[in-house]
Amino acid sequence: MTTHFITAEIDLQESPIAMQQEIEAELQKRGEPLRWAITEVNEESQKVVVEAVVTQPGE
Amino acid sequence: MTNHPYTVVLIVPTGIGAEIGGYAGDALPVARAMAHVADCLITHPNVLNGAQLYWNLPNALYVEGYGLDQFAAGRWGLNPVRQNRVGLLLDQAIEPELRWRHLQVADATRATLGLDLTEYLVTDQPLNVCLNTADSGATWGTIQHPDSLLRAAETLIQKAGAEAIAVVARFPDDEGSEVLQQYRYGQGVDPLAGAEAVISHLIVRAFQVPCAHAPALSPLPLDPEISPKSAAEELGYTFLPCVLVGLSRAPQFLLQSTRAAGSIWADQVDAVIIPADACGGSAVMSFASQYYSKWEGARRKPPKVIAVSGNSTKMQVPPDVLRIPAIRVNSYLEALGVLVADRAGINPTALSPTVAPLQCL
Repeated sequence: MTTHFITAEIDLQESPIAMQQEIEAELQKRGEPLRWAITEVNEESQKVVVEAVVTQPGE
Repeated sequence: MTNHPYTVVLIVPTGIGAEIGGYAGDALPVARAMAHVADCLITHPNVLNGAQLYWNLPNALYVEGYGLDQFAAGRWGLNPVRQNRVGLLLDQAIEPELRWRHLQVADATRATLGLDLTEYLVTDQPLNVCLNTADSGATWGTIQHPDSLLRAAETLIQKAGAEAIAVVARFPDDEGSEVLQQYRYGQGVDPLAGAEAVISHLIVRAFQVPCAHAPALSPLPLDPEISPKSAAEELGYTFLPCVLVGLSRAPQFLLQSTRAAGSIWADQVDAVIIPADACGGSAVMSFASQYYSKWEGARRKPPKVIAVSGNSTKMQVPPDVLRIPAIRVNSYLEALGVLVADRAGINPTALSPTVAPLQCL
């Protein structure tokens, strides 16, 4: 297993539950999410910045 | 007569430079005050850990961040315990003298506090912790050998009977950087906190047991200018006592909503307190989601989210942009007032100088 820090820009959603689902789906593409948070919201572009640590299989 | 236990969750996210709670257990006075108002306070190691210092709060539950995220999402419940048997897991990279310091702390908590510890274990490889800072200013980190960490935790649980895991990893010594100096002076971001969270999250995710971490570091030279908020980390050779004490009574996780007697679930939470600019974490978003989806089996209305403007962080995520219904307050003192009013069944807005008249829908 290896640990990786990643960032992602994701569309702002209509509700916290939709936002969470969108974030987790995006992070799953990059590994198994361990810890994440939205660190910035751009209301003009309707995007959020997510910073996360994910794990991936392998040494 | 009412009622269910008034249950409050206090969150100060780790490694984001919170003015209150971003240093050495400096949100502990807030937690003590809230534990006095609540029947049950749920909070996490970053709030309760003060290195050599800690405070016994009989009605507080010490829940590691990954477990708190799962709890908030309704996937895990919390089962309070009288005592956990704690397994001490030491990084192979810790030098012999520093290892002895930690072992003596562990023995001291057995002899002086009556804690129950298993035999200790050393990882089969050095963990090799690396520290980093993200663009946001939050700190994070990676470990080179997470599998070694997990193998050691598994052995402690399966062979030694550990019910909670205290990890001590050797962190890189800082040769006097400006980042460290700012932190010691109570002005910067904790450079270690993000990596500590990664370590404990790995174990909680893999084994669903309570876990917390204390870094092993060489002692720093005396500095008379140290901030009181960071001073708890200047008291001794290790940061381990608070971790062992916290884990000794940390609730166990329940993975199925069987609602064991005395267990606590997310839909039983009355209020969640969070820094107002740090509302983008998984736990607070899960609690807020209760406003949008009625969970199967949910018994009560969603928790009040109380956003404290007076605890600024490096984050830029206020509640309103994420459509999190929140009560904004200026300080933790004001948050305590909201909790008292809510617990008494009083709408907090009725305590304001003006109350707007009702309007027709």
